[in-house]
Parts: sequence; structure tokens; C-alpha cells
Amino acid sequence: MKKFLFKRAISSAISLTLLIVAVFFLSRLTGDPTDLYLPIDASQEARDNFRAVHGLDRPLIVQFGNYVWDILHLDFGDSIRRARPALEVVLEAFKWTLQLALITMTLVSVAAITLGSLAAFNVGGFFDRVATFFSLIGAAAPDFWVAIVAIVFFSLTLGWVPTSGTGTAAHWVLPIAVLFIRPFGLILQVVRGSMITALSSAYVKTARAKGVTPKKQIFVHALRNAMLPVITVIGDQAAALLNGAVVIETIFGFPGVGKLMIDSILQRDFSVILAAIMVTAIAIFIMNILIDLAYAVLDPRIRY
Amino acid sequence: MNCRTTLLGGASILMLAMPAFAQENDVVIALNEELETVEPCMASQSNIGRVILQNISETLTELNTDDGSLMPRLAESWEDQGEGTWRFNLRQGVVFSDGSSFDSADVAHSITRTLSPDLTCEIGAKFFGGMTLTATPVDDNTIEITSDPAQPILPLLMSTLTIVPSETAMEFTREPVGTGPYEMTEWNVGQDIILTRRDDYWGEQPEVAKATYLFRTDDAVRAAMVPAGEADIVPLISQIDATNEATDFAYPNSETTYLRVDSNIAPLDDIRIRQALNMAVDRAAFLGTLVPEAATLATHMTVPTALGADVDLGVPEYNLEEAQRLVEEARADGVPVDTEILLVGRLGNFPNVTEVMEALQQMLSETGLNIKLEMVEVAEWIKYYSKPFAAGDQPALVAAMHDNNRGDPVFSMYFKYACDGLQSGICDEELDGLIADATAQTGDERGDAWRAVFQKAHDLYADVFLFHMVGFSRVSERLDFTPSIATNSELQLSQIKIK
Repeated sequence: MKKFLFKRAISSAISLTLLIVAVFFLSRLTGDPTDLYLPIDASQEARDNFRAVHGLDRPLIVQFGNYVWDILHLDFGDSIRRARPALEVVLEAFKWTLQLALITMTLVSVAAITLGSLAAFNVGGFFDRVATFFSLIGAAAPDFWVAIVAIVFFSLTLGWVPTSGTGTAAHWVLPIAVLFIRPFGLILQVVRGSMITALSSAYVKTARAKGVTPKKQIFVHALRNAMLPVITVIGDQAAALLNGAVVIETIFGFPGVGKLMIDSILQRDFSVILAAIMVTAIAIFIMNILIDLAYAVLDPRIRY
Repeated sequence: MNCRTTLLGGASILMLAMPAFAQENDVVIALNEELETVEPCMASQSNIGRVILQNISETLTELNTDDGSLMPRLAESWEDQGEGTWRFNLRQGVVFSDGSSFDSADVAHSITRTLSPDLTCEIGAKFFGGMTLTATPVDDNTIEITSDPAQPILPLLMSTLTIVPSETAMEFTREPVGTGPYEMTEWNVGQDIILTRRDDYWGEQPEVAKATYLFRTDDAVRAAMVPAGEADIVPLISQIDATNEATDFAYPNSETTYLRVDSNIAPLDDIRIRQALNMAVDRAAFLGTLVPEAATLATHMTVPTALGADVDLGVPEYNLEEAQRLVEEARADGVPVDTEILLVGRLGNFPNVTEVMEALQQMLSETGLNIKLEMVEVAEWIKYYSKPFAAGDQPALVAAMHDNNRGDPVFSMYFKYACDGLQSGICDEELDGLIADATAQTGDERGDAWRAVFQKAHDLYADVFLFHMVGFSRVSERLDFTPSIATNSELQLSQIKIK
């Protein structure tokens, strides 16, 4: 296990390094932020000074060398836009995204696994058809449209929940509900397919012949084997949320990392872009290791 | 647990989770983007200004946007001492929110700090670029400020300079301290900013006791927050959301849209071509369709309330036949009218900008000129807008929106029309002389001098002016507050009354 973790850490570090190099140079190619930060009629002296203060007057390779040296010392630089340490800005935003992703994926996983399993038990039955119909709609519905309709109906018309924001528990209801829909639809379909295969396997048939209750057939015998492809999809969906649900964060006024990344790219706030990518990449790396470990728990034949 | 208990429990949890109802004298304001900084010397940025300007940080003077006059604020009076020096007599008995007294040393420090090259303050770069200011305290309540070169409008410039205590460090602050009627009591990054009324404010106590600023990027959500009871004022909503006469206000936002004409490059160097471009645009057809009905046709770079603005300057008549005739006449004289002219628009510049630009391309092409439209992002657009122009030797028309809410054309005309102006597409000696003359004038002569500049730019068909734009705000019916041209850059809480 230790060897596995070490190997994964090395391969992830290599990927992360390549990512930083690519993002550093690609972001610099988007242009000089001076024009965006200074008033359009700022003097040449002010422009030169701005570049000097932010190290933009040096050759690109020197800027890169300085950046690498700084991050080796855990200094991710300052946000130009916010005049604060970039890592501090990113961690503040990441905190919101992480909470949103964790709550949403927990609810999605429980609901999709339960309902997908039940649908698979009686293929073609009424419950299966209803679950399949709604899961397909859920997987296909555009987030921004669902979000706006939900605000108009649940906030404006019914007045049940706030339109947006983060102040209270009620503020989380609509964003989580909207984020829930798409992964729920996808995962339910994968669970259903995987469970149909598992339920038709010999060992479940044997259990059924021995008089095991349907509940036990699904949740004790079949589920464990059906979970491997499901975990992969859950991992993909969770990674997407950790990268930031940009549309949802924007509509519901959630100050998450996705919106921060988009804003920082538009604002040429290089330090924040790089720090955000580092933080989300590390989070996704940790999550992938946890998924690998979950594989081993579910299937004893898998050993690292 | 029976069904009834479950419902009661659920309802109790939901009530606890819902936000507490605001006090009667509290207001909630929804801004369109999060504040990245609350630094007073950045208050010229519209949303920072809406929170900071005259609420937390005050200025020596204040522009009356209704009539363009200058009002006292932290300075009670001011006199021109000649040779670029102005003496300001400061208000006494004023204290900052940290308890320290306001005096001339604070003004001197604020000037040094705002103009410091290490801070890159937007106010410094925007209003004080290219000049040196020397602040000399005479006593605690009097200060002399000298500008080099001399600035006849120095008192007006002081309406932009936010005053901070002399102890303020030479770095961006996250805890702004000012002399205004409010202090920042909370900044929950990503969520809100809360200003609370001060008991020891030098002036009249405002009605609003507490203001909470929320940040919502989505236009539809911001607009929905007022009817949902979650916000009282939304300074900026989109035109399509402004559907309720009781709560929605159109206000002039001090922005002028226009096409900057590269008048030094053929065929645009021929005045007949520039005149044809002006005559080919059916401006009235845009109003109420792609451009808000409340917008007005522009004849100047600045809004009509600016000093020297001449309401009698006519909008070029829409006359396509005459425009076509002028182009053909130029062609006959050897002007290369078939040269491709680049029409550059900026994505997201104002609502419906892409559709407006496509319509303009169509209208301008009908003259017989060869117009090619290109829509670009802001970072790309700036290269076309400021010298050296990215279009190079290719003739270009660059669509832009210019904001001048300071009341004096000096903030516009040099940059837009002088030969050395950063965004000037024209170079005319006479116009240069008129601009220099107007810049140096004081008193009533200054308005007359600017009027001459506007007239000359108009006679040269230097640009294609389009519209003085409007913005839209939504205000809860429980408030007595009408947005104005100032709402584009500030939102004085003391002007808000509760009905």
C-alpha cells in the first residue's frame, strides 16, 4: 500500500508539474494585465511601474524561474486584483466548493444507488420506467435553465427559499437541488445497468433459490459487485464539482473556486489562476487515491 | 414521531434557517460583482465607489451631478492662490471612524498615498496622471495644494480624492477608515459587506442605520431579489428585467457610445467620408429596439450636463442618399473608398452590443464603403482603442463607450482629440489649440472654451457619436430613493429615505 501511495504521489507530482508549466506559459500568452488594471488613460510611467511591481517587466523565463522558486517555498504570490496572497484567496473559495461538492455527492450517491438498485430489481416495471424517465431528463437538463426556473418557482412564486446567497441553511437548498439533478441521473443509470448484470449472475440466482429476501439479494449480495463502475462515475462527477460548478456558483452567488478561476482568467490574475489549479489538482489527486482504495475494499482481488 | 410532529419540527427548522427579517432602517443592496478590495484609493471603480465613496471615505469637495456645481464636503471653502496653488480651508470637529481627528496632515498623506507609484491606486492613475501634486499644510485646518502643471480644476479633482488618516499604511487596506457617516463593521469575503451608521459623524445623521451589500453576478437573480424581499436596491439590472414601473428606474449613466474614426488614414482622412458615415446611421431606429428608449442621441463625447456641452449641436441628419453621393464624389476625386475599413466592437461592452454593431455594419456598408466587422474581447479591443493602434495602417472605426461623470470635459477631450491623445483618431492643429486653451481656462470662460472645442470636433466629423446611454436600477417601494447619473459610480446611503 505504501509503495502504491508513493508511486501515485510521484506520478501526480509529474502531472502537476507539467500542468503548472503549461498553465504558466499559456496564461502569460493571453496578454499583459497592465491594460486591464490601469485606467485606459494611465501614463506610461504608471504602466512601467505596475509591470515592475508585479514582476511583469522581466523576461518570461525569469518570471517562471522566480515562480517555481517561490512555490517551492510555499509562496504562491499575490493576487493582482485583490492585493492579497493568492493561496489565501483560493482556499477561501475552495472551502465553499468543497462543502457544496461533498453535500451534493453524498446525497446523489445515496439516492442514486438506492433508487437505481430498486429499479434494476424489477426491470420494465412501473418504478423502473418512472426512475429511468426522470433520470434521463435530469441528465439532459441544462443547469442554468433549471436554476433560473427553480428560482422563479420556489423563491419568487412560492417564497419557500431564498433566491441566492450563503447566509443560512435555506440558502443551500436550491444550489444543491440543482447540482443534484445531473449526476443523479447519470449515476442512477449506471447503478441500474450494473445491478441488472449483477442480479442476473449465478451467485444471486443461487441466493434467490435459497429463499434470500429481495432486499438482501440487492443490498447484500449484488450491490458490492455492482459498485465498481459506479464508483468510477461518482469519482468523475465529484471531480467535476471540485473543479467548480461555474454556472451554479455564478447564478446562486456562491463564492466558489470555479467562479474564481473564470474571473481570474478574464482578469489575467496569474497567481490566482495557478494557485487555484494547484489546489483543485491536489484535491482531485487525493480523491482519486480514495477511489482506488474503495476499489480494494469492495473487491478483495484488487491489491496495491 | 407522528406526521404532525414531523411537520412542526420541519417548519421550525426552516424558520431557524431563514434569514432574520431586516430592521426597518436597514437596507440591502445587491451589486453585480464581488468587491475584491475595499481600498479607498480604488473608489473610482464603480462598485467599490458604491460602497466606499461618501459613505466611508469622504472627499474635500463634492460634485453636484444635478447642475455640475462643486459643493463643499471636508473642505468648507477654497481659493486660487495662482501659479497652480489652491488653498483649502478644512472643516473642523471632524473625526475618523477610528477616533482620530481629521486635519491637514491627513489630506497631505492621502495625496501622497494615492499618487504613490508603489500602490497603483486607480484614482491616482485616472485623475492625477501626468501631474505632480505638492501638499503643504499651513495649519491644522488649512492646506495648500500645488499642481504641476497648474490645474485650473484642482478643486474638482479633489472631489475624486478619498481622504484617509495619516496613519494609513502605504499598502492596500482591508479595514478602511474614513470620516464618512458609516464605517465598515463586517466583511465576510464572498458573502457580504456591512456598513453601520456612526454616532460621531460630523454631519446630519442619515436615516439608514445599516447597509448590507450582497454580490450576485446573474442579472435575473439580482432583479428577482427585490420582489423576493431579499434586497432593497439593485443599482444595475438588465434592460429586459426592467419591466416594473413601480420599482424600476432608467437613469443616465454618464456613458457615451461612439465610433472612433481613424481620421489620419485614407479613406477616413477625407471629411466627406466621415460625413457620409455620420449620415448613414439611422440613430433613431435604435432607440426602443436595440438601445433603451430612454437613451438620447449623442452630439458630444460628454453627457449634456458637462461643462460647455452645447445642446444646440445637431445630430447629423440620417440621409442615406446624400451619404452615397458623398462617397461617390470622393471616389471620383481619387479617394480609395473601396479600401476595407475595420469596424471593431467590444464583446459585452453594453447590452445588445453585437446586434448594434451588426446593424451599424449594414448601415455603413449601404453608403458603398467596404466595412468589415470584428467583435473582440476587452483585452484585444484595448489594443485597437489606445495608441499605437493595433489596426496599424488599416483604416478603422472603433466602437467605444466613454464615461465622464466628473462634469468637466478635460477628462475626455485631450485623450480623445488632441494629436497626442492616447485614444485620438484625429490630429488637427486648430483643435489642439482649442483644447489647450479650454484646459487652461477658469470660471465662465472655461465653459465657453469647451463649447468651442465641441463645435470644432463636430465640424470635423471627427467621430460618429451614437447615444448617451442609460442604466437601469430596481428600488424597493419601501424606499424613497431615485437613482441618478451618480448611481453609476456611487450610492450615498445618506440620500436614501425610508417611506
